[in-house]
Parts: sequence; C-alpha cells; structure tokens
Amino acid sequence: MSELALIIEDDEDLASIFAEALRGIGYEVELVADGRVAQERLKSGTAPFLILLDMHLPHVSGADLLTNIIKVDERLSKTMVIITTADARMGDTYGDQVDFVLIKPISFVQLRDLTTRLKPKA
Amino acid sequence: MKYLNAVLTVPTSDPDDARQRRLLNILLLGTLIAALIGLVSIVIFSILNPDIGQADAQILVIGIVVFTLGIFGIYQVNRRLSGRWAALLFLLLLTVIFVFTDTPQELVRGRSLFLFTIPITIASLILAPQASFLFAAISSAIIAWLGISIGLPINVFVTIGFFILALVSWLSARSLEAALKELRAVNAGLDQLVAQRTQALAESLDRERIEAGRSRAILNSIADGVIVFDRKWNAILANPAVRGMLDFPLELIIDKNFSELIDHPKLAPKSRGLLSAMMEHDTQPVGFRIEWGGKTLSVSAAQIYNRTENMGTVTVFRDFTREAEVERLKSTFVAIVSHELRTPLNAVLGYAEMFKEAVYGPMNEKQVNMAERIIKNTQRLLGLINDLLDQAQMEAGKLTIQMASVKPADLLESLHGLMDKTALDKGIKLTSEIDDSLPELLSGDAARLQQILVNLVNNAIKFTEKGSVHVKLFYPSQHKWGIEVADTGHGIPENELPYIFDTFRQVEGTATRIHGGFGLGLSIVKQLVNLMNGDVKVESKVGEGTAFIITLPLVAVEATQTNWRAP
Repeated sequence: MSELALIIEDDEDLASIFAEALRGIGYEVELVADGRVAQERLKSGTAPFLILLDMHLPHVSGADLLTNIIKVDERLSKTMVIITTADARMGDTYGDQVDFVLIKPISFVQLRDLTTRLKPKA
Repeated sequence: MKYLNAVLTVPTSDPDDARQRRLLNILLLGTLIAALIGLVSIVIFSILNPDIGQADAQILVIGIVVFTLGIFGIYQVNRRLSGRWAALLFLLLLTVIFVFTDTPQELVRGRSLFLFTIPITIASLILAPQASFLFAAISSAIIAWLGISIGLPINVFVTIGFFILALVSWLSARSLEAALKELRAVNAGLDQLVAQRTQALAESLDRERIEAGRSRAILNSIADGVIVFDRKWNAILANPAVRGMLDFPLELIIDKNFSELIDHPKLAPKSRGLLSAMMEHDTQPVGFRIEWGGKTLSVSAAQIYNRTENMGTVTVFRDFTREAEVERLKSTFVAIVSHELRTPLNAVLGYAEMFKEAVYGPMNEKQVNMAERIIKNTQRLLGLINDLLDQAQMEAGKLTIQMASVKPADLLESLHGLMDKTALDKGIKLTSEIDDSLPELLSGDAARLQQILVNLVNNAIKFTEKGSVHVKLFYPSQHKWGIEVADTGHGIPENELPYIFDTFRQVEGTATRIHGGFGLGLSIVKQLVNLMNGDVKVESKVGEGTAFIITLPLVAVEATQTNWRAP
C-alpha cells in the first residue's frame, strides 16, 4: 500500500509539480486548493502519511490549519508535516511545530529527494 | 520750599560758580534774617526801655535798613551780574558793618575781635580760596588803623592769627575744590558710561526687535506646523501652518494645554498613547507619526533649554499623508512581488526540472541542456528578485537579524554545496579553510551569513577569469571573528574602491552589461554586516585580485534566540 500525501496548495502549477514529484516516488497524492476545503478534509477521511501545506491559502490560512487542526487532532499526530512558504520569517515562526520547512522557490528535485528519505523503507 | 530753592539758585552753567553763588545767597538770606531780628529786637527794647537814647536807636535802625538794602543790592548783583563781585561786596559790607558794631577798644583787643574772622573764613568759600589772605590783610589793616586811632600799639599776634586762619581756610577750601573736581570727574565718567550703556541697550533692543520680526516671518512662512509649549505644556506660540495641518483656528491652540490636543476627537485613539508618552517623558527629543482626522502627521519634539533649565518644548508637525501612502504602497508592492513573482518562477523552475529529470519519458542531450539553461536563468532571476526584496526591506528598516547558534563548518559546507558547480563551470577553484582556534559554535543569523558568503563568492567568481577564490573564517581576537573572501581576479581600480558598496553600482559603469546583475550584491553585504554590528573592508590590486574582509562581533552562544531590529 502506498503512503497518502495530502498537498494543500492553491497554485495549480506548483500543486501539479509537487504531485508529480511525489507520485514519481510512489506516493498516493490527494490535492486540495482551498483552506476551507482543506479544513473539512482534515476533520474526516483517511489520515494522510504526509501533508505538504502552503501557508498562504484562500479562506483559511495554512497557519490556522496548522495550529487549530493539524496540531490538535489526535488522528493526525503521526502525520508528517512540511510547510511551504515564500516568507522566510514564517518559516522561523512555525519551524518548531513541523517536520520540515521549504522556502519557495521549491525545487522539484529537492522535494523529491526529501520525500524519498521520509518514505518508510519497504 | 520750591520757591525758596528758586530764590537761592542762580542759573549758570559752571557748577563751581553756581555752588559759590548759591552759598552766597544762603549767607545773604541768613544775614537778612539776622538783621530783621536785630531790628525787631531794637524796636521792642526801645519800647520796653524808654530811657535809652532815641538817637542811638535811630542810628541802629538806619544802619540796619542800609544794611538790608545793601544785601538786596548784592543779591541782585549775584543773580544778574557776577558772583565774584557780589561776594567781594558782601564781604566788604560785612567788614564795614563789623567796624561799626562796637567800640574801637573792644574791636582791637576785646569781645568783638572775633567778628573779623567771619569774612576771612567765608571769603575762601564764596570768593576764592586765596581771598582769605586778602581779607586777613584788610582786617589786619583795619585793626591796626583802629588801634593807632585810639593810641594802642599794633597787635602783631592778631595779624599772625588772621593769616594762620586764612591759611587754614585756604587749605580747606582748596581741598574741598579738589575733592569736588574729582567727584565731578567721576560723575562725568559715570554719565558717559550710562549714556554708552543706554545706547547699547537701545541698539540691542532694536536688533532683538528686528530678529524677533525675522524669526516670526520665518516661522509664519514655513510649511511645517510649529507649536511651542511652555514647561507646563501650555501652548505659547503657533504658526499659521498649524491651522491647515490640524484644521482648527490658531486661537483655539494658543494658551491651551497639550492635554486638550490629546483629547481632541480628530486624533486617532491609537495615536493618543504616543502623544501622552511624549508629554510624560519630555527629556529627550522624539519623532513619531500620528493619525489626525484622516491625515498622517509626523511629529518631532525637542526641549528648549536655557543652560540646564528646561524652558518648554518645540513640536513640529509635518503632513506625512502622501509619504505614508507611498510607503504603504511600497510595502504592498514588495509583498506582491515577493509572492506573485516568485510563485510563477517556481512553476517554471519545477517544470524545467521535470524535463531535465525526464519525468515524462526520455530526453535527448540537447533537450536536457535547454532545460538546464531554463533552470539557470530562472535561478538567476529569482536571485535578482531576492536582492531587490532585501534591498527594499532594508530601506524600510524591516529586515531583522535572527540570532541563533551557527556552526562555522556548516556555513562553509553549505557554501560549497551552492557554489562549487558555478566555480567549476567557469574553471575556477573554490577553496576554504577555518582558523583552528575559532569556536565550533557561534551565535549569528545563519541565513544572512550564508547570504553574505554567497554574494561575496558569487561576485568573486563573476570577476575572476582564471585562478581561485579562497574563503577563510578567521579569529583575530577574543571578541571578534571574521570572513575573508579573496580572489585572483582583475582587481578594482583604486579610484573606484570608495564606491563599490553603493547601491546599483558596478565598477566602471559598463560592467553591468558584461556581467549582469543590479550591482546590489555588495551593497546588501555591507548593510547586512552593519546590521550585525560588524565591519567590512576591501583590499585590491589591479591585475592581482581582490579580498573582502569582514569582522563581526563574537557573541556568546548562551545569548541566542534574541531578535533585534536594525537601529
């Protein structure tokens, strides 16, 4: 069974690049482009193995999702979280609460290599 | 009293003459009164004692009347003609009167001899000091003549006595005159001094008036609003610009306390604290912005000191609405650029990488090469955007240094990871070393230190055609550490060295076209180093190479996790 990666990213192109990188190394990928939709998705359904969370999202911000749901929901306690942001200061603020911080621009190769390492050895 | 004074005073310009003539008038008045008393006494005496010879009384009355007329005459001479002549006449009259007051016997050796001393002494006061001798001689002559007329020998002792008295009078009158002269000289000096001071005071008052007028005109014509408060924060002065700035008449400002301004409904609530703080801590000049009825005003306040005494505060209001709007737009622009420019570039980069990595099937060599060029150019573009954003943030004072633990070895490792390929592509050797004594853990902003290293190394590679770029982390003293980036490039001409850290500048102006870039790299390095309280200098020789040497304060590792804002 392949690990589920939830990509929460409002930019269509970036979402597709991230999805391609993760699919290429065997992740099952689910895409969400809106903060409010992500909020609903996180409250129910399968707990993902990995969340790639953009901090700037429409309606509900990535920071809110992180502090109000991801960090408090028991079901998501084992989920790995990588935040993506263009703002280095945002990375400094939330760096302690997540597994990894990726500052945009994010390289396809960089993301692929990182997530490969995160995948449990078969 | 005023009338008496007018009668006694003689109008003359010579103060000595005036004094003598006034003294003479007083004596005339005194003798007149004495004569009148004498006259009245004789009349009463003769009524009480009818036995007294009528003839004697008559002679006495006639004598007194003649004397009184003589005094009047002398008074007129003194007042209208000459003090000298009047004094001489008065003294002669006295002498003559004295001759007839008693029997020759008594006058020569008896009770009335002393009468002659009177004209001798007062002659020195009302005529001239030496006139005492004249009257001593006259009196001596009269005594001698009277003595001879009654058959007595000349009384030499009387003559000697008269002359001694004249000498004493002469000396005292002279010293009196000398003292008066001195006093008058002192007075004249004082008068002159007073006149000078008065003149100077008048001039300085004039100057002050002109100066005050000028200051007022300047104050009235400047565009900034100025309100001057006294020590108790009551407004004592305001210029017309304040009216336009705060939108209410000057009359409503003058004499009002500053606290009324703070409570004004036009002042935004969030600005109240700033003004209150300014009022409470009025010991240092301050500058800040307030919101006032839809306007942004910059306020600066400075205390007025007279020596060490605080006299009050000058506050200057400047309409900052437009500038604040521009700054806000700039901030927004920076945020938009930061997000909206980087996101599509990130997509371009990602797709190009996917080509290069052959995600959708095999690619030929040319296609891979093209993808690599896209990646390289996109990264360059992203680098430029980052430089511009950093520059904008630094100009806005928003760039902060985040202190944390830094491993110098990690800095170099990461530098090699980022720059080795660039150096290799150009055929340049990138080498590095760390001073053995440098602590393994330092306090610093890893990301900004990395940025400094990358900027310097990038720059060094850009301007070096062959040879090497060497990076060294050194430890010059206990409280400092440093970064040195040395290359074997073509060097910087001496006359260009002072300008290389300027924003948007490249050496020789044309280099921008050859080497690309905004010329922001070194400027950002210098500003970052300054934010870290460090120092950067450059050593260069044309044809041999350039070395950038940065020294930074070595902060103890315990004092980490502290953020500070650029000063």
